[in-house]
Amino acid sequence: MDPAAEAASVGVQVKDDLSEKCQKLFVEFLEEFRNQNGDILYLPDAEELIRPERNTLAVSFTNIEHYNQQLATTIQEEYYRVYPYLCRAVRHFARDHGNIPPSKEFYVAFSDFPTRHKIRELSAARIGSLLRISGQVVRTHPVHPELVSGTFLCLDCQSVIKEVEQQFRYTQPSICRNPVCANRRRFMLDTDRSRFVDFQKVRIQETQAELPRGSIPRSVEIILRAEAVEAAQAGDRCDFTGTLIVVPDVSALAVAGTRAETSSRVTGKEGFEADGVQGLRALGVRDLSYRLAFLACHVAPTNPRFGGKELRQEDQTAESVKNQMTVQEWEKVFEMSQDKNLYHNLCTSLFPTIHGNDEIKRGILLMLFGGVAKTTMEGTSLRGDINVCIVGDPSTSKSQFLKNSKTKVARSFSCRHVEDFAPRAVYTSGKASSAAGLTAAVVKDEESHEFVIEAGALMLADNGVCCIDEFDKMDLKDQVAIHEAMEQQTISITKAGVKATLNARTSILAAANPIDGRYNRSKSLKQNVNMSAPIMSRFDLFFILVDECNEVTDYAIARRIVDLHSRNIESVERVYCPDEIQRYILFARQFQPKITKEAEEFVVVQYKRLRQRDSSGATKSAWRITVRQLESMLRLSEAMARMYCSDEVQPKHVKEAFRLLNKSIIRVDSPDVNFDQEREEDASDQNDVEEEEVRSATVPAPARPNELHKAAVPKPALRMSFTEYKKISNLLVLHMQRMEERNEESSLKRSELINWYLKEMESEIESESELIAKKNLVEKVIHRLIHYDHIIIELTKTGLKKMEKGGEEPIIEEDPLLVVNPNYVLED
Amino acid sequence: MPTVHDWINSPLGVVEGIFAQYNSSPDWEQKVLDFFREKLKDQEAASWVPSLNDVPLHYLKTSSLVKFRCMVQDMFDPEFYVGVYETAAPPPESKVLKLGKYRDMTDCEVDLNSKHVVTMERQSFYCVPIPGESQWVKDGFARCSQARVLPSTSYMPQRHKRSHEEEDDEMESQPHKQKEQLTGNHAATDPFGHGDTKRLETGSQGANAAASGCPHSLELNFPLPGEMGPACLVKVYEEWEKFKVNDVLEVYGILSVDPLLSVIAEEREGHFVDSMDGMESLEEQRAHSPPASLVPRVHMLHAYRLQHNNPLLPPAASEVSSGFLGELASIRAELIGFLTHVLLGDGLAAEYLLLHLLSNVYARRDVLPLGKFALNLSGCPPSSSYTEQLFRVLQQLVTCSHRVGMSLGNMNGLHFTPQKDYTANRLRSGILQLSPNTLLFLDETQLQQGQLDAAGVRNITALGNLISWQKVDYDFSYHQMEFPCNINVLIASEGKSLLPSDCHMPLQPQLPPPNIEEYMGALQAALPPSLLNKFRIYLTALRHQEYSISEELTKMVEEDFVEMRKEDPQSISADDLHRTLVVARLLSLSVGQSTLSRDRWVRAKHLEARRTSRTQQRTINSNEP
Repeated sequence: MDPAAEAASVGVQVKDDLSEKCQKLFVEFLEEFRNQNGDILYLPDAEELIRPERNTLAVSFTNIEHYNQQLATTIQEEYYRVYPYLCRAVRHFARDHGNIPPSKEFYVAFSDFPTRHKIRELSAARIGSLLRISGQVVRTHPVHPELVSGTFLCLDCQSVIKEVEQQFRYTQPSICRNPVCANRRRFMLDTDRSRFVDFQKVRIQETQAELPRGSIPRSVEIILRAEAVEAAQAGDRCDFTGTLIVVPDVSALAVAGTRAETSSRVTGKEGFEADGVQGLRALGVRDLSYRLAFLACHVAPTNPRFGGKELRQEDQTAESVKNQMTVQEWEKVFEMSQDKNLYHNLCTSLFPTIHGNDEIKRGILLMLFGGVAKTTMEGTSLRGDINVCIVGDPSTSKSQFLKNSKTKVARSFSCRHVEDFAPRAVYTSGKASSAAGLTAAVVKDEESHEFVIEAGALMLADNGVCCIDEFDKMDLKDQVAIHEAMEQQTISITKAGVKATLNARTSILAAANPIDGRYNRSKSLKQNVNMSAPIMSRFDLFFILVDECNEVTDYAIARRIVDLHSRNIESVERVYCPDEIQRYILFARQFQPKITKEAEEFVVVQYKRLRQRDSSGATKSAWRITVRQLESMLRLSEAMARMYCSDEVQPKHVKEAFRLLNKSIIRVDSPDVNFDQEREEDASDQNDVEEEEVRSATVPAPARPNELHKAAVPKPALRMSFTEYKKISNLLVLHMQRMEERNEESSLKRSELINWYLKEMESEIESESELIAKKNLVEKVIHRLIHYDHIIIELTKTGLKKMEKGGEEPIIEEDPLLVVNPNYVLED
Repeated sequence: MPTVHDWINSPLGVVEGIFAQYNSSPDWEQKVLDFFREKLKDQEAASWVPSLNDVPLHYLKTSSLVKFRCMVQDMFDPEFYVGVYETAAPPPESKVLKLGKYRDMTDCEVDLNSKHVVTMERQSFYCVPIPGESQWVKDGFARCSQARVLPSTSYMPQRHKRSHEEEDDEMESQPHKQKEQLTGNHAATDPFGHGDTKRLETGSQGANAAASGCPHSLELNFPLPGEMGPACLVKVYEEWEKFKVNDVLEVYGILSVDPLLSVIAEEREGHFVDSMDGMESLEEQRAHSPPASLVPRVHMLHAYRLQHNNPLLPPAASEVSSGFLGELASIRAELIGFLTHVLLGDGLAAEYLLLHLLSNVYARRDVLPLGKFALNLSGCPPSSSYTEQLFRVLQQLVTCSHRVGMSLGNMNGLHFTPQKDYTANRLRSGILQLSPNTLLFLDETQLQQGQLDAAGVRNITALGNLISWQKVDYDFSYHQMEFPCNINVLIASEGKSLLPSDCHMPLQPQLPPPNIEEYMGALQAALPPSLLNKFRIYLTALRHQEYSISEELTKMVEEDFVEMRKEDPQSISADDLHRTLVVARLLSLSVGQSTLSRDRWVRAKHLEARRTSRTQQRTINSNEP
């Protein structure tokens, strides 16, 4: 224990030269240190101290270092010893500049202490010197007054003994000051004339980032005094500046001498007859262990690393984040920001175990950076979060024919990975095993005897990423909740008649299975995914993972997996480690890039292009390029700019955003329908849908013109855009339904239908060859409707026996009856 | 009188001797460690040390050397202590330099202002007996022990001073424990005797008790309900960074059960109730300084991590003796035969069960654990005691196991994940805090339809995470922290389980016996104990064998995969390849081969094909009606 403290406690004031010199220098510092304007920096603060609730002067340690390096070093090394003198210096300073009651105690708090220690680094060697530690507050105790300096009344001679300094525990004077009185025991505390200070204990615990794997986090008790009390709440991550002290666990450690006697007297006074204890003590039994605590003078919220509370708080700036990093950490971040190949390196480092799928990685990366949240003049807030949805072929064991599951692995992995990286990420599954929500029901399937879990309400984390697997399997009410969360960024909860709206500023990363199990390329995205249009439109990026058979990719996959199993070394190639990426993202997120003039123009041009292409494609599209996509483009551009730590959005950022959007989307819905090669659908369609599917990196995706529909239609009669096909089929179906409604009994014959259609089209047909072409076309359409989309059902004359579906060449009856599939509902 | 037992009976004397010998030089610490390490090198000598696992606590003398086979359940904050001090004696007597290491307290006056006082740091671990340890393991170790502990001579008279209620409880429980040990020893000669059944019963009773909040087990913080044995506060002086939570250790150290410890703690408590500087709350005090008679302190002198806890094998050696290797094929055949009978005549399922019992997470790459092989045995008859019987058989084979009936009550009521209790500042254990290679038997046949509450959903999620990622998220209330684990999960269910699994194996019983209990009883009775022991050695020894795939085979597997995909892209997926490789690995290990051979690969593919055809057949069947 510190000798100075020891001396003080026994009441013999040993003159401490070093401390007194320190006090003098500190007063000088307070008197003389000026800011850039030449004002005395601490004068206004000191004048504030006159207010009754104030008693602590916060001093920046860096300022002391600037002023007098030696003083700073002394304070740092001998903190515990000089602290009372520094407080005295503050008192003198305040008294010189204000009308302050003489009995008031003052304290000094040091902010901006440069180095920071981990809880695990605290050791007995650091006792007494000034330190800054950080941790998560896990427990706070109530604030109560602590006796600083007691005034005692001697019960024997009634003399008053003043200014008895208290050291952590109740300390009575060792002997009455009256020379004729020999009283050593009977004193009474005069509370009115004693001085107290607020006192609070909190406990902090190591944060996840500092924890060695497989260890239980350590904790340390913090003692807070004066204005530092109530500054930390449970759950906060805070920095504490102060010193490590040995808790004078006197009862266990104390030996012969004054303090042991004091302690026994205290207990006696409280009516605790500690005879047994005394008896043991007389035997000389001692516990040899004691504990450390941290006496803090200053509390500040920590660098909100990932999971930090103030992640998106507006008052966080890049500068403040930088300040909270260590030098090495900052150097690494700086190095990263200078990396020419940053975009690519981040992508590969983010998902080292996922093969290919670069566009998805990029999309998710940008999601982590996020766009800038804005508030319009009317007060409407526009979200900055980017939502991403991945649709891919599943490999559920329900579908017994083994499906390729590379995609599934990739999907769940990306969710997992993001969970590892993202701030407050939540990983849930839309249904089943890793059930979402607060409660769930277990239901047994009567036929297969399998149990299923039906999930209850979903919880969303504020300020985080919500990864939802099997999004399509999600309960409708959850989808609605997510819908709300995605656009309004709030979530409403109705419980016991009280409706509460909670903030849910969440980015959503969803993964969904296509309706039919496998992604059907000939259908629109909307038909492939069981999601309502409003929800779909809330996603900024849509990616489709299609399982393709390709020797090259197969080899690559096999290689990866076999490698995984044959080598035991942990060789995951990463340019940057997760910690570095986390820090970088955190830092980069502090930027609020603004759009430059050129970028603005570029956005306008690109948006126009998208719009034009959209409207030229077909009149009746399932998904239009709307303002939402414009917003998405802006968000993505901002995220790009953030990634490069840029304060402005430049055309190159917009360009990449546009490219991604174009790759991802949206444009997904309408692949061409190819009537020629229907049986080799897989092979040919690969070409057609190439644009929207995200291909593995090993397969160099040839750059394709964006204007696919218009450009590549060599045989117009046999190839048509999906929308056109849709238009014709809708026309036919509508007509058939109308006819069926009118006359329950009769059904249309095939020839009748074709004739009706040609009649409808009469105005457009000008020559005979055109008529034949049209006829040919409509026959193809009907054929497709029957055999591939199963919208129309063919009836043979002999009865209601269904034709064999799909597969072999159907036997075409001369003129079969056609009815609309009763389950088919016309869209839009 | 330097007898061989000196270092066992009074190790502190040895330590002090060495300390005096090396007086001021700092070498003495290392010398002490070397001394005990040297002594314990000898298997024979190590077996003389009494074990806390099988000798009742009150038979052991304080400050004697003991060993303890345990799992690290929690790590407390570091402790500072007076390592070296000077006695404060009145002037005529000279001051003596004394040692504070390896003890909790001193019996003389301490001069704290002396220059010679050295403050040192130590770490305390809260250790519990290995959760779910099979009775045959306990008995096996007890039999190996040669410690001579005579209750009459070493019984400490000062224990009469005890005043704690818990201690009285302990007193009551001790005769019971003793008795159990006797029956345990008895059972050892007859491995399937009723000694085990009795333990099972207590186990299930414990489960009920835990649901209703049994105070005693909560106090000791055992991961599994119904566990017995002492918990221990192990004080670690050196290299504590190398120990991790959930590690299984064999600790040699100096026992400290001095009742004065409790009194001091009590005294401190008394002080802190009124004083403002009480650093520990009452709950905390209770958790961190429980009465020494209930939770003895062990000051660690030597410890090593146990790779397995099979008493039939030497602790460190994972290599198999050559004689055993020769027998391997026949043991494997016998074991498959036995498991086939246990699985009601299903040979394919027996193969997979064997692979499952050998599985082990041998590496992790990024987030992916390698080598895990969670098995889902579906098609278990629902309304019979078959699953229970099956578990009993498996318990006889593996060293650690636990069965959880997935009834709604259990799912909603049990604590699966450990949780930090900030009031007491300790980690409250949960069922999933298990040592590596524990067999977790999930019995889904006990599930009914109904509502899962918040805790139930969390528990199911925890199980799902455990199976898919081999990690458990410990709840630190402000955040979750992942702890990697290595638990073999076997799910018995009626239909396909709602939990994920690496491998789904529908059971196809060939011969449904009329009375399952009788049938299983007869099966076990027919198994000679020597063969049973061979099974046990087989399972433990082969699990940790090295394994590799040669360059040539790597190529072949790759080409095989691409070829199969070419023929029919639906036939095999990346996931399947993954699983087949795991199957091939376990299959090779099961026959004692350390590299993959072409034959094994073909055999693995064949097994997988048979299994998948069975699952498909099943789904088609269930879809038809």
